Amino acid sequence: MKIERRLRRGWPWAALALFLVVPFAIPEGFYLDLLMFTFMYAAMSVGWDIMGGYAGYVSLGHVGFFGLGSYAAALLLVHLGMPVFVTAPLVGVMASLLGAGLGFISLRTRGPAFVIVTLTFTYVAQLLTLDLKSVTGGSQGLFLPLLDLPANLIIIPFYYAMLALLVIAILVSIAIRRSKFGLGLIAIREDEGKAEASGVNTSFYKILAFAISVWFAGTAGALHAQYLNYVDPDLAFELIITLNLIIMSLFGGRGIVWGPVLGAFVIYPLSAYLVFLLPSRLAGQLHLVALGVVLVLVVMFMPDGVIRTYQAWRRKGPNDYRPVEPQASMAEAAG
Amino acid sequence: MSPGLLAQSLVLGVLTGGMYALMAAGLTLIFGVMRVINIAHAAMIVMGAYLSLTLFLHLGIDPLLSMLLLIPVFLALGALVQWGIVNRLAERDITLTVLMTFGFAIILEGLQGAIWTSSYQGIKTAYSLESFQLFSLYIPVVRLIAAGVSLFLLAGLYALLTFTKLGRAIRATIQNRTSAQLVGVNVRLVTTISFAIGIAIAGATGPLLGMLFTFYPATHWLWIGKLLAIVVLGGLGSLRGAFVAAMLLGIAEQVTSVTLALNWAPMIFYVFLFGVLVVRPQGLFGAVERQSL
Repeated sequence: MKIERRLRRGWPWAALALFLVVPFAIPEGFYLDLLMFTFMYAAMSVGWDIMGGYAGYVSLGHVGFFGLGSYAAALLLVHLGMPVFVTAPLVGVMASLLGAGLGFISLRTRGPAFVIVTLTFTYVAQLLTLDLKSVTGGSQGLFLPLLDLPANLIIIPFYYAMLALLVIAILVSIAIRRSKFGLGLIAIREDEGKAEASGVNTSFYKILAFAISVWFAGTAGALHAQYLNYVDPDLAFELIITLNLIIMSLFGGRGIVWGPVLGAFVIYPLSAYLVFLLPSRLAGQLHLVALGVVLVLVVMFMPDGVIRTYQAWRRKGPNDYRPVEPQASMAEAAG
Repeated sequence: MSPGLLAQSLVLGVLTGGMYALMAAGLTLIFGVMRVINIAHAAMIVMGAYLSLTLFLHLGIDPLLSMLLLIPVFLALGALVQWGIVNRLAERDITLTVLMTFGFAIILEGLQGAIWTSSYQGIKTAYSLESFQLFSLYIPVVRLIAAGVSLFLLAGLYALLTFTKLGRAIRATIQNRTSAQLVGVNVRLVTTISFAIGIAIAGATGPLLGMLFTFYPATHWLWIGKLLAIVVLGGLGSLRGAFVAAMLLGIAEQVTSVTLALNWAPMIFYVFLFGVLVVRPQGLFGAVERQSL
């Protein structure tokens, strides 16, 4: 029993140790690139889930913060010469402040305002970067100076930065889950009226959760801009990024710390493989269709995600499994 | 800004606003009866545009005529999707329906790209470029047609909602679902019918959009942004509000593009959207949502 418990506690640390040595064991760009993007999506999904899973408020605008993070980091580097690895966390804080502002507009009331504001915020951000040509270069985009590293080593700092971002995301998510703040968010998800009546400052909690949630998107966007050495309005604000975060969170399980992580580690490599398989003329389009179909299927048939579905299946036996409502106690068991 | 230019942009704004009103009517109707934000609404409109374009290029069917074909097809499709998919989810977890319609939008966009490629398209008929002079005003024929057709369909919708038994049932369901059920309205059926009507209107607007604007698979994101701004400004679920807001924003868009710059015109929608949420979250005509504890 003790060994089993130790294994259960220890596997994240084992995985972390493994990922830390991967660049030495397999120095091939292809696998490092795949892992790096998986880390990036996992970190952003965990962030998305703080709002979408714990508080139950679906954001369709995380890519807006990702894109603005890209631009902010690019501008800081081009004009002030500040390296992205230094500015990325600060860019994340800027994203958080912006998120708090949007939250102030849309989270004071319940209802659909939040979804609408987050979705349209993406367009506003994209329009601004397109139209403020003197600052952002318009549709031409901005070029970032390259890192001073040999070509085959250039991915290494990004690999470790994204891994660090993921570790931070998981630790923050665990900390929130165990705090009174996290309990308040889950109360909001379960019944916002009752949460408010029992003394939870719902507006403040939601705004704070959203600010924390978008920090990861902004920071990841900053790192991503330097990785590509380029940013333009189409690349920075691809809605498929938001779509990916949502699918990953839902697939693994909303409101569970490890749910979005599992989702990212399954969905990202699979969808990279899919794009590789499809004929290049149609790859982008069919990839979009496939992601859309996966989202609809998950929402229809497995809204609780893999982890909860598996737990419920194991508890009840395969024959009388029924979809379960998300419950705080189950989230706790997995968190 | 000269008075002539102002008059010109007012006329164009009203003509375009008429079409916006029709587009938004379906969206706000669907929200009204089932509290679902149909993120795929604009993707369905663009789908209508593509189908109408194909009918026009291959069979020579005029886009205005193709509306008569699209309406029943989209009506049936809407009923099927609502009854078979959306309703099941809405009864289980309403917050997830927005993710489902988001998924529909993505699927439609991908399919359109796979079938029609992602290059720019437009429906160019013989009368596409014609216009006439009224006093000193320049009036493009297609805009006039689009506004006329839109107002005709909106009048039909208004008559349906005001003078028929079904319309009364729909309005009752929008106002209070539970009470409507208590007085004997079959709210499930009414919801399915309303959803189908909303989708049918979206399909019917497709040809108009295709005649007035260029489109490609990803354009629906621009349109859903505009439409959401209209329905929020008007008050979610309010048809009258959507009409007023569509006119207001249609005019504001034209005036901005004349006075400021063409590329800032889309921003006016978001300025109004964010502004109204700060000042009056329920919109111009919306009722304050009451929720029991």
